[in-house]
Amino acid sequence: MSVVVIGLSHRTSPVELRERFAFAEEMIPSALKSLHDSGIADEAVIVSTCNRVEIYAATPLMPDAAFAELKKFLVAQHAFDGALGDEIYTIPEPQSLHHLFKVASGLDSMVIGETEIFGQLKQAYELAFQQKYTGARLNKAFQRAFNVAKHIRTETNIQRGSVSVMSAAVELAEKIFSSLAEHEVLVIGAGETSEKTARALLSRGARNVVVTNRSPERATALAAELGGRAVPFEQWPDEFEKIDIAISSTAAPKHILDRAKLEPLMKRRKNRPLLLIDIAVPRDIDPAVGTLDNVYLYNVDDLQGIADDYLKLRQEEVARCEKIIAEKVAALLAANRF
Amino acid sequence: MAWFTDRHFFLLAVAVYGLSAAYAVFLWRKGFRRDDHVAYFLLLAGFALHSVALGKRGFSFHACPVNNLYEATTFLLWALVVAGLAVGLLPRLRFLGAFASPVLFAVGVFALMPSLDPPHGARPEFSGGLRSLHAATILLAYGAFGLGAVAAGMFLMQQHDLKAHKIRAVLSLLPSIQRLELVTARLVFAGFVLLTVGLAVGHELPRPEGASFFSDPKVLWSAFLWLAYLELLVAHRFFGRSSRRFAIGVIGVFLFLLLTFWITNLYSALHHP
Repeated sequence: MSVVVIGLSHRTSPVELRERFAFAEEMIPSALKSLHDSGIADEAVIVSTCNRVEIYAATPLMPDAAFAELKKFLVAQHAFDGALGDEIYTIPEPQSLHHLFKVASGLDSMVIGETEIFGQLKQAYELAFQQKYTGARLNKAFQRAFNVAKHIRTETNIQRGSVSVMSAAVELAEKIFSSLAEHEVLVIGAGETSEKTARALLSRGARNVVVTNRSPERATALAAELGGRAVPFEQWPDEFEKIDIAISSTAAPKHILDRAKLEPLMKRRKNRPLLLIDIAVPRDIDPAVGTLDNVYLYNVDDLQGIADDYLKLRQEEVARCEKIIAEKVAALLAANRF
Repeated sequence: MAWFTDRHFFLLAVAVYGLSAAYAVFLWRKGFRRDDHVAYFLLLAGFALHSVALGKRGFSFHACPVNNLYEATTFLLWALVVAGLAVGLLPRLRFLGAFASPVLFAVGVFALMPSLDPPHGARPEFSGGLRSLHAATILLAYGAFGLGAVAAGMFLMQQHDLKAHKIRAVLSLLPSIQRLELVTARLVFAGFVLLTVGLAVGHELPRPEGASFFSDPKVLWSAFLWLAYLELLVAHRFFGRSSRRFAIGVIGVFLFLLLTFWITNLYSALHHP
């Protein structure tokens, strides 16, 4: 009996096709039952996320026969009548184990190293385990995959760093301030990215949010959503004495904050550090402001640059992770009980 | 083993500080991304050898071993290592030792110059509890100032990287710049308190006939140092002096201390009766 994988993912198919093959959670127990009852698989786990639909099966059939049956099963389950090319991939043992370990470690994810897939895989496995559709082979393979994923997380830098503009802003704030709990955030212009960045800062402990916007209604609504307070747009400079992080994303055609305006405000702040995040295009903050002492100015390109650098670093770590996975797969296959 | 003197132990300690300094260069090139404890353990190994050296010399005349420039310098370095190891117990500040080790190595090599350690009798003339307290508090103060300067160096590096949008600033495991500024200020304050106590104790010591406090170069130099650190602390705390200027000031005053302390020692009648 061998462990095989069949499925489709963001690498092989567009979202329009993936959603056609997705399994709703309530559909999975019956799908597992029909896989088992049809004799295609003695053990099976179905993973269905927004980026992949995969069946992991321990099958008594020869791989080619198993893949043909599994493909038929997938098509029949979703009543799919379109044409299929290479969108569905099939992986025999031992590459199937290698693939499982890679998926668990986030190496096959759209954002390399992301951790959400680990939880999703665990949930899919637990569902199959509770329904008693897993046995010695898949239990061992999945348990080992979870251990390998944890090992990779601690031993490599694959999950380090921020790969989005919002999380890069949060990470920067944590490199400037000892604890975000003592700092207030000012949101100038209630755009979507500034809202998300403010939310990210709040989730990491920022004390409070002050929102200002040309339209006071929008400022009040966002402040209420974020649990902060709104101030009239003309009065935002007065807030600079209290806040330590400002996120600006207005639609102003020219700079709303320049050196001449900020210099006296910095004196009133007694030179406490100030993080300015300018995500507006055209920019809201004059770049010359960044030359002031204790002022840290980042625009959207700077943040994207950090996120991209992190992504590059993660890609550099892939080779290390692959090596660990190859060793762990070899060890699993060498184990007598597998 | 009788031929293996305290100076040999100190030589070994300096060699370990040298290794630690070389490792610090490696860590710096790697962007301080991984805390592998090697820098801390090298410092700990150097500290053990250094302590044996200091202990052997101190036990030989039953007093704090600060009777010539070699002894004063080794004691100063020892205080710096103690402070570095203590602060390094906090994981976020462990790299402080890596930053301190080049200073330890350079000053350690300087201290090993034979002319700084002229032989004296089995028991130096100017020993005693109060003198030991005076010397120990002042040298511990120098150690705190030294570590403050190291923290200030870390602050300036991190601040420069953050301002220049270098990815290294985000990737490194160095503490936030606000924490580094706080650590610098606290170390300088601790040093200032120790220096004040040390100078106050020194005032109570008996003076050689005809010697005056106010014409002694070491006393004047110490008073200048005391004022310089007071100015740094007051300007930073109460007059909103920028963190960068404060850090540069802390490094500048400590460099001045390091470069001039042996000269003033040589010309001081009070310290060389």
